[in-house]
Order: sequence, then structure tokens, then C-alpha cells
Amino acid sequence: MNAQLLVNGLVNAALIAPPAIAFSLLFGVLRFPNFAIGGYITVGAFVAYAANVELGAPLWLAALIAMAATGVIVWLSDEIVFKPMRGQAPVTMLVVSIALTLILEQLVRLVYSADVRGFDLPLQRPYKFWGIRITQEQIDIVLLSVLIAVLTHALLQYTRIGKAIRATADNPMLAEVRGIDTPRVIMFTWGFCGALFGLTGVLAGLDLVIEPLLGWNLTIPIFAAAILGGIGSPYGAILGALMVGMAEELTVLVLPSTYKVGVGFFIIAVLLLVRPQGLLGQPEIKK
Amino acid sequence: MPGALLKAKGLFAGYGRGDIIHGIDLEAREGEIATVIGPNGAGKSTAIKTIAGLVRRRTGSIRIGDEEIGRLPASEVARRGVSYVPQEANIFRQLTVSENLQMGAWTDRGHFYERLDRVHQLFPILSERAGVRAGNLSGGQRQMVAFGMALMVRPKVLLLDEPSAGLSPAMVEQMFETIRLVNQTGIAVLMVEQNAIQALRISQRGYVMAAGQVAIADEAAVLLDSTEVSELYLGSRE
Repeated sequence: MNAQLLVNGLVNAALIAPPAIAFSLLFGVLRFPNFAIGGYITVGAFVAYAANVELGAPLWLAALIAMAATGVIVWLSDEIVFKPMRGQAPVTMLVVSIALTLILEQLVRLVYSADVRGFDLPLQRPYKFWGIRITQEQIDIVLLSVLIAVLTHALLQYTRIGKAIRATADNPMLAEVRGIDTPRVIMFTWGFCGALFGLTGVLAGLDLVIEPLLGWNLTIPIFAAAILGGIGSPYGAILGALMVGMAEELTVLVLPSTYKVGVGFFIIAVLLLVRPQGLLGQPEIKK
Repeated sequence: MPGALLKAKGLFAGYGRGDIIHGIDLEAREGEIATVIGPNGAGKSTAIKTIAGLVRRRTGSIRIGDEEIGRLPASEVARRGVSYVPQEANIFRQLTVSENLQMGAWTDRGHFYERLDRVHQLFPILSERAGVRAGNLSGGQRQMVAFGMALMVRPKVLLLDEPSAGLSPAMVEQMFETIRLVNQTGIAVLMVEQNAIQALRISQRGYVMAAGQVAIADEAAVLLDSTEVSELYLGSRE
């Protein structure tokens, strides 16, 4: 077994996991797959780029700025775009979200062109352990991803707002009836997930390059991870991210690397045939 | 006569176009149980959902004490002491039993353990199953979770939509006994029921709804004795 591929797969999974969690959480409370995630991630990457390269902020600060800014932009996208359309069919919302991702991506392109960019970082030699190469950035990505998973778990299990998110995702009518201000819960969920998308933009910019298609290229693996784990289940999303992340890298063993992008599609297709509710998802029971 | 805690007057409401209920008056009085009976499609559930803030009221007033609550969203109605238990989808399936009960206490976390004890006294099985996902419970136990949630605050008025639906005859008996016990602690109850006779027996007031209107409003005992009501709505009595 090629250990380098496993490490690459792990980094890939770590990159996909936070946005897959966010995608799943958003689906939970809003009941439609939001494909604008690509646009959100790209915006996050470019906000961080502007702060880091153009304004000279250190990268950790740029990342925080990107998380805050993306959180606000994602929340605004709900206020302006999705909120007036609440109650429409999920497919309608899906199409609207694709339109939104194109708009966001083109706005970024308008300002920054399609050039490939990178953060202002000192060049570092990758570490080598037993012949496996791993960069400091990749280590950071994995650690941050684990941190995000733990924090999200703590948020959902132990905090009042986290429980309200789960209750609202579970049964919005009942949540209202028990006195939960569900519009505020939804607003918080948008902001929180937006911050995760912003962070993803930064991490993806570290591992790959910063360009307007950055987010779009991650959309399919994120979506595949979320539905593999069981859409609406944040824990499933982590599991799904691990499997998709690994699968993408390991296919290089048997297929030319150009087919890597097809892995996500393949997983989605097989899953929809075999287990549409995903690994940890609950099948919808309608009375 | 005890004063009305909750008073709906001239209520018109429905989903989308057209009304389902046409100018109904309903009351929940201090310390009393009131039951709404009537055939399927009479608008009983719609009436109670409108009071709970889930169905948009077109005109008419809903007051709790002196405050008009007709315009408020369901979460705000809940904060004013109206605790509604839906007939279906009345639990958080993915949450554990104890998390469900915590959600019940969302608007008022005071006396949490006291109230939890009280709910566990009423439904001992819920303390045994505290860590179980509510969606994995039996139908009867789910109903207990739903009811227990509503008691995790100290409501002024309990609104119950078919509390006995889907329960075995023995469980139905027990559910009505529980409602009576809860009422005795000073909580007014307004419920919609198919099990008309049993529900009226524990009630002080009864309403018969038909075609979106209140056809008869009277004391429960009077409704139980009325031949007209029993022939039309209660079925034959053995």
C-alpha cells in the first residue's frame, strides 16, 4: 500500500469534512441542497487573500476575517435570496443556489480575474517521515479539521443553540410550538456554516491554489461526502468526508488521476441506487 | 363561574385560500377541562392550531387573560403560557427522551428538576428510557413524551389535539386519567377528541363542531345527556 496516498487522502478528507458538516447542517434546517457552497468557499478564499496578501495581515488573522466575512455574506444570501423563497420546492431552491454560486464566482472573477494566486507564506520544505512527504500547511489542515469536528459536536450536543438547531432540523413545527424562535436558529445556522465555508476557502487555498473555481471544484466531493454520510447528519458528513477523501486519492492507484473528479459522482450514483438515506441517515418516514 | 383564561372569539382561519373555520368561539376557563368534539373535517384541529399560532387567523380575536395573541407566531404564543401538543409529529424523533423534555422547558428553565420529577411521576417509563432516541419508542411512549414536554413548563392552558389517538383502550383510559390529574394541579385544558364520551366525562364544558362552526356549546354533562348530541356525534351508548 502506498502510504503517501493515504496521507494525501487524509488531507483531502480533512479539507472536505468542515464544509460537508456545514452543508449537512444547512440541509437539516432548510431542507434543500444548497449548491451555493462553491461560491461561498471561493469568496472565503479571496477575502483571506485580500487580507493576507493585499493588506498584509498574518494568515491566521486573515482566516478569521474570512470566516467572519463569509459568515455575514452567507447570512445575507439567505436574507436576500433564499428567505423570500421559503416554502418553494427543494428543486427550485437548488436551481436558485446554483445561480447564486455562479453570481458569486463571477463577482470574484470581475475583481480578481481568473489568475491563479497563493497566500503570502514563507516557503517551507515538506517534512519527511519514513519517506512520506507532508507540508506544515497540510498538518494544519488536518488539525483544524479535527478541531472543527470536535467544536461542532460540542455545539450540537451541549449548547442551547446547538440543541435548538437539532430540534429545528428534526421537527420545525414542534420547535416553534415549544417556544424556539426558529427564524433566529436558522439565521445562526447560516452564519455558523458560512464561517465554516470561509475557513474551507482558506484551507483549500493553502493546499491547492486560489482561483475563482476553487469552491466549485470542491462542490461535488463535499456533496458526495454529505449524502454518503446521510444528508442532514453532521456526524455522517465526517465519515463521508473520510471515505470520499480517501477514495479520491486511492483511485490514482488504478485509474489515471484525471478520473479523480469522477469519484464523487460515482459515489453519489451508487449511493442513490443502494442506500439513498446514506450511511448514518434516517430514512424519511411519512405517515 | 370561573373566568375565561383563554378566549377565542369570532375566529375565521384556514390554509391558503378559503377558511376552514367560520367564526367560532371557544374558551378555556380557569381550572376547567373543555373538550371539542365533532365529525372528521369539522375543523376541530384547525381551530386548536389557530389558537396555538400555527394556522393564520384571518379575523377574530384570541386572548389569553387581557392580552391579544392572535397575531403572534407559535413560539410567542408558547411563551405566554399556552402549551400545545400536536396530534402527529409531536416529538423530536432524533433527540433522546431527556433531550425532548429539555426542549419542553425551552421557554422556562426555572424549576427544571422539580418539573422533570413531576413528569417522571406521571410517566415513570420515561425516566427508564431517558437516553433512548424518542423515535425508537412505542406509540404510547411517544405520546407520553409529547405530553411530558408540554408539562415541562407550567402552562396556563394545555391545548391537546387528540391526545388518545393511536393508543390502546387501556392506554386511552390512562391518558384521560393523566389529563385529569394535570388539570387538578390548576392547569386549564382545551382538547379536541374523537373519544367523545370518555373525554366529555372528565370535562366541565363541551363544544360540538360541525362544518367549521360551533354547533353546540354547553356543559359537558348536558352534552352527554342530550339525545341530539348522542345520536349525531357520540354513537350509540351501551
